[in-house]
Amino acid sequence: MQTGTLISGVGHAALILWVILGDWLFARKDAPAVEVAEVSLISAAEFDAMVAAAPSTPEPAPTAEPAPEPPAPAPEPEPAPVVEPPPPVVPELPAPSQTPPPAPEPEPVPEPLPENNGVADALPLPVNPDPIPEVPLPPTSSPRPKPAPRVAPVPVDAPQPAVEVAEAPAPAVTPDPVDVPDVVEPEQPEAQQQEAGTVLETEANRDQQVAASGAPPTSPRPRGRPARSEAPAVETARPTPTPTPTPNTNADAVAAALAEALAEPAETPRPSGATNAPQGPPMTSGERDAMRVAVQQCWNVGSLSSDALNTTVVVYVSVLQTGVPDAGSIRLISSTGGTDAGARGAFEAARRAIIRCGAGGFPLPPEKYEQWREMELVFNPDGMRMR
Amino acid sequence: MTVNSLSIRALAPVLAIALMGLFGVQAPAQAQSGPLRIEITEGVIEPLPFAVPDFVDEGGAGEYARNIARVIASDLSGTGLFREIPREAHISRVSSFDSSIAYEDWKAINAQAVITGAVTVSGGRIVVKFRLFDVFSGQQLGEGLQFAGTPQSWRRMAHKVADAAYSRITGEGGYFDTRVVYVSESGPKNQRLKRLAVMDYDGANVQYLTDSSSIVLAPRFSPTGDRILYTSYATGFPRITLMDVGSLRTQTLAEQQGTMTFAPRFSPDGGRIVFSLERGGNSDLYMLTVGSGNLSQLTNAPSIETAPSFSPDGSQITFESDRSGTQQLYIMSATGGEARRISGGQGRYSTPVWSPRGDMIAFTKQHQGRFHIGVMRTDGSEERLLTASFLDEGPTWAPNGRVIMFTRETSGAGGSAALYSVDISGRNLRQIPTEGAASDPAWSPLLP
Repeated sequence: MQTGTLISGVGHAALILWVILGDWLFARKDAPAVEVAEVSLISAAEFDAMVAAAPSTPEPAPTAEPAPEPPAPAPEPEPAPVVEPPPPVVPELPAPSQTPPPAPEPEPVPEPLPENNGVADALPLPVNPDPIPEVPLPPTSSPRPKPAPRVAPVPVDAPQPAVEVAEAPAPAVTPDPVDVPDVVEPEQPEAQQQEAGTVLETEANRDQQVAASGAPPTSPRPRGRPARSEAPAVETARPTPTPTPTPNTNADAVAAALAEALAEPAETPRPSGATNAPQGPPMTSGERDAMRVAVQQCWNVGSLSSDALNTTVVVYVSVLQTGVPDAGSIRLISSTGGTDAGARGAFEAARRAIIRCGAGGFPLPPEKYEQWREMELVFNPDGMRMR
Repeated sequence: MTVNSLSIRALAPVLAIALMGLFGVQAPAQAQSGPLRIEITEGVIEPLPFAVPDFVDEGGAGEYARNIARVIASDLSGTGLFREIPREAHISRVSSFDSSIAYEDWKAINAQAVITGAVTVSGGRIVVKFRLFDVFSGQQLGEGLQFAGTPQSWRRMAHKVADAAYSRITGEGGYFDTRVVYVSESGPKNQRLKRLAVMDYDGANVQYLTDSSSIVLAPRFSPTGDRILYTSYATGFPRITLMDVGSLRTQTLAEQQGTMTFAPRFSPDGGRIVFSLERGGNSDLYMLTVGSGNLSQLTNAPSIETAPSFSPDGSQITFESDRSGTQQLYIMSATGGEARRISGGQGRYSTPVWSPRGDMIAFTKQHQGRFHIGVMRTDGSEERLLTASFLDEGPTWAPNGRVIMFTRETSGAGGSAALYSVDISGRNLRQIPTEGAASDPAWSPLLP
């Protein structure tokens, strides 16, 4: 017991001592930093030689060879000392005889130097005796681009909407619309009216509200089904066994709900009567990502100015059904964050990216052409900036 | 039974959504009301491929036509932002300056920009004209330009063309038609001979401005490029000296008995010179008004203040001082007064130089036995070290604020100094070819 107390006491005493003195005893002594100054650039020998040479008349102008164009002043040969024999070495580095006693106090404002010490503004000889003016060439002579030999002048047999790439419900879109109509009819009217009534106020307000809020114009998950051919088709694929009443089994319920959920994309983008809104199923996030990846691998910001790297540009592009961008349609919609020059550079880089990577057609789902026939690509270089 | 089936039916939508998630069915994106909008935030950083076919000889050009094209290609490739597609890979040949551009041919070799041009030499004049094309958009970038001068200045005209192309593609000014004044060194390390020299930014056209009779240090161009300030030991003591480049006439400035003056630098308008003046073992910063010769003291401290550099608007000065115990960087008004420290990292900071754009300060840093060239914001933030070696020091900015040149010295008795340049991103470190050793570079403004 006593031993324990003793040990504890000693331990505490040591701890207290360490707390009090440890900082002093074990303080990290910063290694004396190595003195480095510009003086290190001048060797003592050089300085000595120079000091010794000083009294010997200051040589008004060390008229150096202005080096005529050819290799006149070829690099001096190695045995340079031969050319300029250094005078006897002066032992004391600072040349005491030369340096007068240091002035007692640096005068706050020394008196102005004599007039002749001021730099004559009249030494106008330019470095370049022959300035080179730049003259814009007459625009008339600008060459026209040679008509590019088109490989396929006519749009190559447009690959008809490939059904296989689409989402799961796609197969139900095309099949026999003939035997379905009556099944579909009853559902149509209610759904459309409900959605239009609750989501959208008026036609006139819609665009303004959407623009102001930035919110999507329609809900992605309406309960009813608008009058779109695809939507009914989804329904029809299921009830092929004709007018069977509501399924009773659990499995059917799940299947029906799943089909309903999967069919949702096909119906959302229809703002009842809107004219400029794209028709058809919306792009999934995966499809958008594919498009994003396709563009970004050609978006080269390596040659952009830092100003352009501070500029976000929104670029419009119209895309052909083949997925190839229409180069002539590419235009700058807006830019933020930089100057006009920066915006121009950023836009040109964006345009190059679209044209280059779209040359073979972007990976876009053909059946959703209405969705991507026009695009606004936002090129935001925030993450690519050099700082 | 009924209850059970009802509850299952009620849960069916939930189950369906869960199944969708389980099987990775992609959720539809938000409905869109206008064109599909996609944001691209990731890109690539790589040199832009370009092509410069030999310029067309429109009369008497001879080798100039080819050489000018080569200098242009070299200028652009040397930035690290562009990559030349070798001539051997060209499909299209440009035989006439006004001929149309076969974009498809250039696309086929992935050239994204093409520079075509023509050269004429007659009557002691050389005329160079060029056009720049954006291949993938099928458009000419800007108008064509032409330059005229003496045949001896053909390299300058090539640099002019490269500057214009660089500017049009990147959106920022070029730096090819510039010169660099530096200290040319020769001889062994313990008896080195130094003299001032001027060269094109790429190391060509070296001209020596002084002989080796006295040590010279730290040359600096005037804002117009026609004068050079430097520190000369011609009198035995460091004295700031002004040289007129055209006539090579020199003039010693701020000469006062018992003082040493060094580290001079022009103000952006060329009307003032800030420098260090040592008196009695203490050095402070002084300002000399060009023309009147008025001298004013900017700092008054027992520490060493030196290496001053103006901000581009001339209102502030950055300098180094050991007033805190070690060399650190400070900023103060160009009229003097309170200075604020901007360097905060470990190590010693020296030779600050304000960027021509005004947003950054380049500096030399010594830390743990290594020297670095770095840049930081003017408030000291975002410090980035661009290089590391046995001895890197003395940065100088290209006029467009994108590239930094500096001195790198190798270790050992046989070590020597050389000039290097690096992009402010830290990429594209390259040595500038010089005749022999070289140090203390200072970049000129763009030539007229």
